[in-house]
Amino acid sequence: MADNQQIEMVGMNRSAYLRVLAFFLAPAVLIYTLFSVYPLLATIFDSLYLRHEGGALTFNGLGNFQTLLTDETWSKPFWNALRNNLIFFIIHMCVQNPVGLALAALLSLKQLAFRNTYRTLIFMPTMLSVVIIGFIWQLILSPLWGIWKMGLNAVGLGVLFGPYLGQEHTALITISLISVWQFVGIPMILIYTALLAIPDELVDAATVDGLNQWQAFFHVKLPLIWPTIGLVSVLTFVANFNAFDLIYAMQGALAGPNFSTDIMGTLFYRTFFGNQLQLGDPTMGSTIATMMFVIILMGLLVYLYVIQRRIQRYSF
Amino acid sequence: MAQVSITSLQKSYGSVDVLKDINLEVEDGSFVVLVGPSGCGKSTLLRSIAGLEAVNGGAISIGGKRVNDLAPAKREIAMVFQSYALYPHMDVEKNMGFGLRFAGTPKQEVAARVAEAARILQLEALLKRRPRELSGGQRQRVAIGRAIVRKPQVFLFDEPLSNLDAALRVNTRVEIAKLHKLLGATIIYVTHDQVEAMTLADKIVVMNQGRIEQAGKPLDLYYRPANTFVANFIGSPAMNMVEIEVTGKNKARTLAGGELGVPLPARAKAGDRLTLGARPEHLTLGAPGKGLTGQLDLVERLGEVGYAHLDMAGGGRFIVEVRGDVKAKRGDKVGVVPDPAKLHLFDANGKACAS
Repeated sequence: MADNQQIEMVGMNRSAYLRVLAFFLAPAVLIYTLFSVYPLLATIFDSLYLRHEGGALTFNGLGNFQTLLTDETWSKPFWNALRNNLIFFIIHMCVQNPVGLALAALLSLKQLAFRNTYRTLIFMPTMLSVVIIGFIWQLILSPLWGIWKMGLNAVGLGVLFGPYLGQEHTALITISLISVWQFVGIPMILIYTALLAIPDELVDAATVDGLNQWQAFFHVKLPLIWPTIGLVSVLTFVANFNAFDLIYAMQGALAGPNFSTDIMGTLFYRTFFGNQLQLGDPTMGSTIATMMFVIILMGLLVYLYVIQRRIQRYSF
Repeated sequence: MAQVSITSLQKSYGSVDVLKDINLEVEDGSFVVLVGPSGCGKSTLLRSIAGLEAVNGGAISIGGKRVNDLAPAKREIAMVFQSYALYPHMDVEKNMGFGLRFAGTPKQEVAARVAEAARILQLEALLKRRPRELSGGQRQRVAIGRAIVRKPQVFLFDEPLSNLDAALRVNTRVEIAKLHKLLGATIIYVTHDQVEAMTLADKIVVMNQGRIEQAGKPLDLYYRPANTFVANFIGSPAMNMVEIEVTGKNKARTLAGGELGVPLPARAKAGDRLTLGARPEHLTLGAPGKGLTGQLDLVERLGEVGYAHLDMAGGGRFIVEVRGDVKAKRGDKVGVVPDPAKLHLFDANGKACAS
């Protein structure tokens, strides 16, 4: 047995080997169980119960999920939040990741001066607190004194200005783009690292084969960084469906105007903790949290079983 | 195939000159090896010929056409890289045909040329494999195949054997020599390994610090090195050198005091300092007191020949080729007798003295 061979290889008897295994695995297992597995299971468990006034719990099976998806009081905000969250994600995929890729490609140009300065500056917003980001952009976009308005006026494009954060049809896009601005450094750094790992001789070979810089990028470098782009996409997906803080900081828990920026995270927050006249409902909140978990899980499964299997990783 | 000529080529990175006034003629169909220690500029010269490095001055022409301002793909060259630089995401067939397909060559012709190259290099069974499924030697052949498919005027090889193990290196060296005969191609080949240079080249170009020290047929370089650098670099073990002072006609002594009878150039006067060079096979061990004096340190026995390492009386070490048994033991004083007809003399600047 492979197991026995391994034990023999390290030169221990079976019980000593198991003790060593336990010693090294225990800290990780304990911490992971306490802070990750237990809360997850507790949440799923909670979502199966109904809480009555006074705090009594009764088992409700999948009744909460049925309520969430079919009872109009719950289903309308739920589908609204899910739709908004999808838009939020699509904007990230279509703007943040291509821009990150383009920035990474520019940074990897040898003739570019001040490379490290650009890299640091572009990555900086990622390290700032969301509260600061939200506050800065609220000031910039303010219809009263914001510099965005002055800037547009100065170049004669004043007609394009609107109270972006206050209009239902622009608020979500605006917030998404602010989030893109904040986090574009992450795909940039990951893709930049992947580009650096590609040997120069490969590009030389492509040059001798007649490709210019652009063509070498699309035909040689890009195919080699698909695995990283896949990874960036799945990270974006997970982060977007867990997002909450930027919207809470800029639009408040009600995710206004008229819930047009409400996403899963803010919906969960209002439901679980309550907000203004709405009382907190832990079991229904858990139901929403479980739905978020299921959605993220499905996204991950699609990535692992459909996308990642078709992507080949390369070593050089 | 074509001749490559390089005239007054200059290349610098900022204030560092990496190529200083390089002049080189590569005859049509010849195999030229650029050899030298790391940092001597040999790879930069090759990359300049390929068009991968811009030059600061001088001219490069291939087949009589000035190519300084042409893109690499327009220079009708093909290059084999040290790391092979195969595209990891393409199979062998696509790797070899990539340049042609990219240039818009008709599909049938690409397929025919790839098949031809695969036949020459015995790669037919591997055409559908990815580079990572190949061994080092196979990758090397694919890299050469990719070059052949382009039907270039000139093949450029940048240390193509340095990533292979010793046995494979010898095999591949022979393969490359055969390929050169088969294709009748003009090849410029960079290596730091003088054995590769000696065995493959029609002409060796020894470079040092951005300059060509000497260019010529391998054995010419071996028998008539133009200066001490070439004398040291070509030949293994390296040539033994000792500084001598002329004492009279065909008479000299080492700085340690040993008297020597050597054929000296006519214009050598008493008191001139020269460097005497002798290859290990042109020295014999004798009784102490004959020729130069040294102390035996160790004897390396390689089978057919052996090399005796000596600490010389005036400082420095000599390596003497020995055949059969060596009677002397470690620490014994021995005499080293040079073959007067096979000696090399270099002047104070390291240039060979005309005899």
